[in-house]
Amino acid sequence: MDELKQLSEAVIKGNRNEAKRLTQVLLDSGKKPLEIVEQGLVPGMAVVGEKFKCNEFFVPEMLIAARAMKEAMAMLEPLLAQAGIKPKCTAILGTVQGDLHDIGKNLVGMMWKGANIGVVDLGTNVPPEKFVAAAKENNAQLVGLSALLTTTIPAMKDTIKAVRDAGLQTVKVIIGGAPVTQEYANEIGADGYAPDAASAVDVALKAVA
Amino acid sequence: MAIPGLTLIGESINDSVPSTKKLFDANDIAGILELAKTQDQKGAAYIDVNVGRRAPAFMAEMIQRIQGVTAKPLSIDTPDYEIAAAALKVYDRAHAGGKPPVLNSISPLRLQMFDLAKIQPFMPILMVSERNLNGKAMPCMTAEETYQTAKEMLQMARERMGVANDQCILDPGIAPIGSDSEGITKRVLESMRLIHNDPFFQGVHMSVGLSNFTVMLPPKRPDGSPVKGPLESAFLTLAMPLGLDMIIGSVVRKYELLPPDHPAMVCLQDVLKLEGFDAIMRVKDFYS
Repeated sequence: MDELKQLSEAVIKGNRNEAKRLTQVLLDSGKKPLEIVEQGLVPGMAVVGEKFKCNEFFVPEMLIAARAMKEAMAMLEPLLAQAGIKPKCTAILGTVQGDLHDIGKNLVGMMWKGANIGVVDLGTNVPPEKFVAAAKENNAQLVGLSALLTTTIPAMKDTIKAVRDAGLQTVKVIIGGAPVTQEYANEIGADGYAPDAASAVDVALKAVA
Repeated sequence: MAIPGLTLIGESINDSVPSTKKLFDANDIAGILELAKTQDQKGAAYIDVNVGRRAPAFMAEMIQRIQGVTAKPLSIDTPDYEIAAAALKVYDRAHAGGKPPVLNSISPLRLQMFDLAKIQPFMPILMVSERNLNGKAMPCMTAEETYQTAKEMLQMARERMGVANDQCILDPGIAPIGSDSEGITKRVLESMRLIHNDPFFQGVHMSVGLSNFTVMLPPKRPDGSPVKGPLESAFLTLAMPLGLDMIIGSVVRKYELLPPDHPAMVCLQDVLKLEGFDAIMRVKDFYS
């Protein structure tokens, strides 16, 4: 098995030390950072996403795999920047106002980074105006909103309204979280709904295509 | 399910349960009433009713219809003032053996819900896992903060509703063990200990949404043995001596008090000692 495949395996198993070791081996052997991301890390996370969708993996496996990927990515990000590799697009990501949950949001951030989407993570309990300001400042094409509570999903509607009112007509807003449904996304005028972190990549890329 | 000293609020009638949401969406009221009857027969002391973001009038109708098939008291489950008000207006206390309903829940950001007691008395579940910081929700980051929030909320319930401790329920906010890299479970248990040891809280009830503890975990281990029931039972085993006497949970789940050497107890004790991802890995080891 070549090292890129081994790197994918290390991500799937959540073996962060092995993932970092293989990333270094690949860099030493002259592999380009972008190839390591696209042919090693991303296919690994894609398998994790698939396994999650079919109930073979659960959130602990997802978190552990995401950590392995994150640590390998941390080695590659400065090199990608040096090589002038630009992200496909830029996304502002956060959990909406009043909501303090960040597991799902963090997983989406990880998956997006892996897919070479630039991610500006605003954290949790983010007011609408902060999303708008960050979208303007970073010239973002995407805004990702997360919420876990039925009491906080109305803040998604407020945030979408704030984005539209600010004249950011080309910015696509994608929403997700346990109480969120496609129906709700349609109702509040979101551009996309991701039922889980694994789907969030496809939904994002489709929205900006 | 029968642990002496533990009161079960049956969780099934909740719009965030996918199979129940389908019933609501299809307006299958008979299906909802069946859930009420089943939970009643299987030992729920209260029946929780959560209709999601539907109209207050619909909530009122559901309360009346459900009371038509069960004499158990109900738990009115909504963060919405108007939905709660509509439910309280029609709740028939005499039909429930004179028992007041539970109101699930009042958080530091929804204090106006105390005023609902003017419609009719209820037992509030007081959410004490978050604080109100200048109008914004902030999670309690330490057991001490949760304890202080509990003190303020209980004091407010006494003053604004004129109720005694034994008519109040504190919810210290349990979190999923499968993603607990920040020691939340440890903090929840410690906050319960602080509350339990303070005479100020004497007679108060404590409750958690126990199914929340094991969401995002698989139902079974590779050998076919259950994952969720034992882990939830392990939590109960540790929390009941600290004053936990109510849960919002499932009538079909097997809850029991476990011996210290039970694998789920060993797992939970390990998780309480571990930090960060090591805690998550330990949970994964339990079910893998």
